Amino acid sequence: MVVLRAKVIVTGDPAVGKSALTQAFHSDGTHFPKNYSMELYLYDSAGKEIFADIVQQHWTQPDMILVAYDMTNEQSFNACNKWFERCQAQKPNQSIPGALVAIKTDLKQRRVISTKQGREYANSKGLEYFECSPKDHENVEAPFYYLAKEFHNLYNVKIEQMKTLT
Amino acid sequence: MFDVALRSAGGTIALVTSFDEKYPPENIIDGSLDTFWPTTGMFPQEFIITFSTLMSIGNIKILCSNVKELCIEKSTKTEPVEFEPLVEKEIENIDGQMQREEIEASFMIASFCSNIIHVIIISCSKPCRMHIPVTSASHLRFLIKSAFDHFVSIHNVSVNGTAVH
Repeated sequence: MVVLRAKVIVTGDPAVGKSALTQAFHSDGTHFPKNYSMELYLYDSAGKEIFADIVQQHWTQPDMILVAYDMTNEQSFNACNKWFERCQAQKPNQSIPGALVAIKTDLKQRRVISTKQGREYANSKGLEYFECSPKDHENVEAPFYYLAKEFHNLYNVKIEQMKTLT
Repeated sequence: MFDVALRSAGGTIALVTSFDEKYPPENIIDGSLDTFWPTTGMFPQEFIITFSTLMSIGNIKILCSNVKELCIEKSTKTEPVEFEPLVEKEIENIDGQMQREEIEASFMIASFCSNIIHVIIISCSKPCRMHIPVTSASHLRFLIKSAFDHFVSIHNVSVNGTAVH
């Protein structure tokens, strides 16, 4: 049995729902499962610009990224690129697997960013697009399962490369 | 002088921070370059090689991939405790190829003459080699602080040495 470990940066504008998403995923009642093959170290990062410097000090050697935005807030969507670029700057010569997560699907009437807009931006950056509502506990786990699977695939690819080295 | 890290010479792996049963850490000291130990994510990572007894160390050869910052520490205790730094190095990126690092101890021949110690250092300098004073150790700790990829592989570590009597 193998246990893979990956550092995942959870980032996005303030109040988009990063912590709600992380906490909903983390605290679904099964706190300490014994039999697992992947540990995600989630760095639920402050979204306020005043903390940007200090936040990025904790972002060294990231493995994956989760960029979140509030689908009822255009500004938070526009800020995604800033967060993505900052995280990518930590690994300039390497593409890191990532997910773009539109949060607050429960607020359907107030939605301003369409699925199409979100998906297009995600595709342009090589991210996988997700929509979820931590409030209703809807689709909360999907982005994390995606990241875990991506990391596992990456590990298998790298192992095959290592086998060819002599 | 022979490879005292080899499993067949009594070398063992005392600790690793990553474990995949398909690629066990013993692959580091089986003498084969084809088998390897991969790390399974995040850094720092480390492994400790324990020798059968206290060894005087001549050189250390490491074959690995994607390692960036590497730190080697030694302990002379029976248990793998109280490690002291031996050498620290940042390895150049050669993009997924095998990295060969050789760390050579400089042999010191000292002769005493009217209370002055003449030290003649015999060493050979090749690129990618680091020099450390001759040292003895019963455990070597290899600390991989950072890497050029998500994962690194350690294919072989050989330690030339002789038992200290």
